[in-house]
Amino acid sequence: MAPPATPSLQLEAERLAGGLPPLLVEARRIAETVAQGAHGRRRVGPGEAFWQFRPYVAGDRPQTIDWRTSAKNDTIFVREMEWAAAATVYLWRDPTASMTWRSDKALPSKRDRADMLLLALASLLLRGGERVALLAPGERPRIGRGALPALAARLERDAAADGAALAAAALPPPQPLPRHARAVVIGDFLSPLPEIEARLAVLARRGVAGQLLLLLDPAETALPFQGRVRFEGLEGEGNWLVPRVEKLREAYIERERAHEAGLADICRALGWRLQRHLTNQPASQALLELYLGLSDGWDRRR
Amino acid sequence: MGFTTALGTLAFIEPWILAALAVLPVIWWLLRATPPAPRRQSFPAIRLLFGLKPPEETPARTPWWLVLLRLVIAALVILALARPILNPDDAVSEAGLVVVVVDDGWASAANWDGKRQALDDILAEAERKNASVRLLLTAPGTDGSPPALSAVMTAGEARAQLQGLTPKPWSVDRAAATEALASLPATPRPRFFWAADGLDDGNGELFAQTMAALGATTRLAPPVAAKLLRPVDSDERALVVTLERAEDRGEDLAVAVALRDDGREVGRLPLTFDAGENLASGRLELPLELRNAVGRIVLEGQATAGGALLLDERARRRPVGLVDDSGAGSSQPLLSELFYVERALAPFAEITRAPLAQLLKQPLAVVVLPDHGTLAPEDLQALDSFMANGGLVLRFAGPKLGANPDTLLPVKLRGGDRTLGGVMTWDRPARITIFDAGSPFAGLAIPQDVVVNRQVLAEPALDLSEKTWARLSDGTPLVTAEARGKGLLVLFHTTANTDWSNLALSGLFVEMLTRTVETASGVTAVGDGEALPPYLLLDGFGKLGEPAASVLPLTGAELAAGAIGPDHPPGYYGSQTGRRAFNLEQAIDSLAPLPSVAGVSERGYARSAEQDLKAPLLAAALLLALLDLLLGLWLRGLLPGRRLAAGAGGLVLALLLFPAPGARAADDDSFALLATLDTRLAFVETGDDRVDEISRAGLTGLSRILERRTSIEPGDPLGVDLERDEIVFFPLLYWPVTDSQPALSEAARRKVNGFLATGGTILFDLRDPAGGSQLSSATTALQRLADGLDIPPLAPLPPEHVLTKAFYLMQDFPGRYAGGQLWIDSSESGANDGVATVIIGSNDWAAAWAVDSNGRSLYAVVPEGESQREMAYRFGVNLVMYALTGNYKADQVHVPFILERLGQ
Repeated sequence: MAPPATPSLQLEAERLAGGLPPLLVEARRIAETVAQGAHGRRRVGPGEAFWQFRPYVAGDRPQTIDWRTSAKNDTIFVREMEWAAAATVYLWRDPTASMTWRSDKALPSKRDRADMLLLALASLLLRGGERVALLAPGERPRIGRGALPALAARLERDAAADGAALAAAALPPPQPLPRHARAVVIGDFLSPLPEIEARLAVLARRGVAGQLLLLLDPAETALPFQGRVRFEGLEGEGNWLVPRVEKLREAYIERERAHEAGLADICRALGWRLQRHLTNQPASQALLELYLGLSDGWDRRR
Repeated sequence: MGFTTALGTLAFIEPWILAALAVLPVIWWLLRATPPAPRRQSFPAIRLLFGLKPPEETPARTPWWLVLLRLVIAALVILALARPILNPDDAVSEAGLVVVVVDDGWASAANWDGKRQALDDILAEAERKNASVRLLLTAPGTDGSPPALSAVMTAGEARAQLQGLTPKPWSVDRAAATEALASLPATPRPRFFWAADGLDDGNGELFAQTMAALGATTRLAPPVAAKLLRPVDSDERALVVTLERAEDRGEDLAVAVALRDDGREVGRLPLTFDAGENLASGRLELPLELRNAVGRIVLEGQATAGGALLLDERARRRPVGLVDDSGAGSSQPLLSELFYVERALAPFAEITRAPLAQLLKQPLAVVVLPDHGTLAPEDLQALDSFMANGGLVLRFAGPKLGANPDTLLPVKLRGGDRTLGGVMTWDRPARITIFDAGSPFAGLAIPQDVVVNRQVLAEPALDLSEKTWARLSDGTPLVTAEARGKGLLVLFHTTANTDWSNLALSGLFVEMLTRTVETASGVTAVGDGEALPPYLLLDGFGKLGEPAASVLPLTGAELAAGAIGPDHPPGYYGSQTGRRAFNLEQAIDSLAPLPSVAGVSERGYARSAEQDLKAPLLAAALLLALLDLLLGLWLRGLLPGRRLAAGAGGLVLALLLFPAPGARAADDDSFALLATLDTRLAFVETGDDRVDEISRAGLTGLSRILERRTSIEPGDPLGVDLERDEIVFFPLLYWPVTDSQPALSEAARRKVNGFLATGGTILFDLRDPAGGSQLSSATTALQRLADGLDIPPLAPLPPEHVLTKAFYLMQDFPGRYAGGQLWIDSSESGANDGVATVIIGSNDWAAAWAVDSNGRSLYAVVPEGESQREMAYRFGVNLVMYALTGNYKADQVHVPFILERLGQ
């Protein structure tokens, strides 16, 4: 058998052969570890979970009367259920070249980690009956377990696409989201803060709650290089010659902190939740935080 | 060009190259101006870097010390190319003729390497000065050719020839060498270097004078002249070795070593020359069998033909022939008389089994005759003549001899035999009495269990007691002997097997036979008449080897005359079965030192102080260049292990600056006090700050719960570094498993094993809900960390385990995650109060227990939320109870059964 010509071809072949790409399998494995519960809408409606007893008023269907409770009291009580409904969660991750970078061969690239987290989260949400959509033009919300391979394929397609064409996509597309949708955006968010603010503002325009996962390589937070180094950007930003990197480290870390603080300010202003994740931390942690963040939002609306 | 320095005189062979040193300033300028190339590094967050400048603007130039290093390299290379020579030797004049005279006889082998090195130095100098060289070897060549001057050659050719030269195992012939010198033309005036062996063969003075008359002569004298081993006399008990030296140099110690034929050492003998004596002798006392095994004696530290003395059969062997008329097909070999004799004698003598007529054809010292029928008259005659020539005949009695006594007996026998202790007799089987002082057996211990049941009896005679070597307790002779001619006839009055006596089974039998054989004289080995072919010959260094084709057979006359030479080198002549040693010392009457002669200067082998500095300089330049490469990589941040190296360097520096032990002692005490004054929960510091923080917060939360709900009042939890801290104080150690924690060092591993062995419990937390599967990275990390720890066999926690009821009753042990399997030490040993040493789970308990300073939980617990956290705390309480109180809960469970059995 001849070896596959390119890694992407090989991946495609594996996908065809196995039905699921390895990324998806890994995402599912991680998603398995976070058990999830159906969330109610915290209001009365069609559902299976008990919500409240309410005195009977004229017009209620006799079938809804809870006889046991009514027998204990003088008044007649009606049993109401919680309205369980699916929400649409819009997912996005930065597909640009800067995400494919990693500082160490032992670490996954930010892109791999982002794809995996996105799929794992999608897998969880789909199992919970939520509707999931990629935040991209022309993408429609999907539902059911069969949606996952389609999502994975879409991500693969992004990966195979030319990096230059994606360069403009360093931030989520300025696409208005429906009311009560939720957004999860994953990326390194190294763009200037005003640009980020402008884009996120569009997303959050209709009160869309969201989460922003700042995914960084450890080297991007610590600048662990030494000596005379010519740094080169991955998206055509140009290059910068530093005679002694170690002398610059503190200034860089300060800048990076300021950038993160700026991001946090933006998120706070939008009511979004910011999380920071490094590629050397376990993926399951970030996934748990993301998932809890989604549930948390519902909790707060209580 | 040459000049004097503090070290000595320094000269350059090609001084004009030094002019290149003038270029160094230019190199300096070039190197200063060129900065090292930057490393290229792609970096996504480059936008954050734009505009950042280092606080101080260092010029992008090569550091001055690096430039200096490179200049030193360049200077070293230039100096090396100029070929400097320290202490040049000027013994050889330019373009003259050098005659190198080499004594390559046996005595020169002692200092051969030194001699060759000294000559090589001289020839190297001659090579530099383009002198031509002639060689004169003073020993006859292997083809027998007399010493002759070689043709004129270059010094390089002469060096090559000298390297291939080996000493000869015979003496030099200086008379012939003197004649060879006569053919030397008067011009150009030769310069003689004579590598002498230090021994005079009678013509040394004349030879030296001849040389001195022809040209300037230097004699290279060896530090010590060769010594010569003289022949070995063996007496009854020892080998006597004599060593001769040429020159009285005061007291001197040499060691002679006795070797077997296969080269194994048998014994050592120190030989001391007294001041004023040129002979030293000593006795090497060895057991007989070892003495017989000695093949040659060599002088330690002097590998020459004169320092190796070969021994042959005359010195040792006593071949014994066993008369065996039965042929090969004896039906009961283990009962045969010969079997016992052969087993007894085999270690000490060379044994041949054959019919009598065949035996007597070969040289033998002893003929053993078992109980035999009537001997034929010609056999009797042959044995008589054997004894007349010094042979020993050893007979054993038996039923046949008892029936037909013949004349070949030391004493007259009564007909028939005597039975002792049989059914029809009153007396008991007889023992052997103590041997007489005159008997060869005197002094042998007699075992009490040796008894003789039957024997043949001697007729009483006047000389009977003289002939008796051993007797029984009733005085009847057991062994008798009689001199016959030069030889001896010995009779054992009982059998050589166990028919008549159990003597043959005892160690005494072996010793008696050995002593008997010892009394026999040896055999003269191979005959003196015919010419002997060379068998194994000594080379110049005293090693035995196959003979060269040019060696001639050795006739008796030559053997007697000691005609050692190219035709007959020393060694063994003859064949494997009969060999004759032909030693160098036979050709040398005495050793004498070379006289000193006017006009001949003497010097030792001391290497001339001349040193070519090219190679060391180039090597230094290469090393510095490697250093420069490493420094360059380091400056550019390209060294892979730079942090490691920096860490190691810092550590070394710290160790050098601060003697650690004193500081450590105080630390140890404070840590021990901290750990022991309160009961504390402890966790293993993994090096991952985040995980350690969770562990600390988790154990803090658990400590609060314990304080609130139980009688345990733990102090604040402690983090322990397994490499640094003593862990033996803690009953329980919480160990979160991380990928990043490095594997334990040997010392830490021992510490943890000691902890486990002395009652500690470790809870390994994989902190991974998928943990426990083979593919999980946490499992891999655990395998790596636990490698070398004494982890007992593990099993899933049984439902009735104490851990399920130590404080709370529970069957699941959730942490931050639920459902992970808990694995526990399955060994049912009573050691350690039945408390498991190792518990492994994956539920990330510390995160579930973790509280912040306000006592609020830090991490969400899935999937059950707070009720699950409560169960996690309960597990923590149970675990601490289990670790602290052991298995008494398990005992309580059995109380009803115990009461029932007691009949209550």
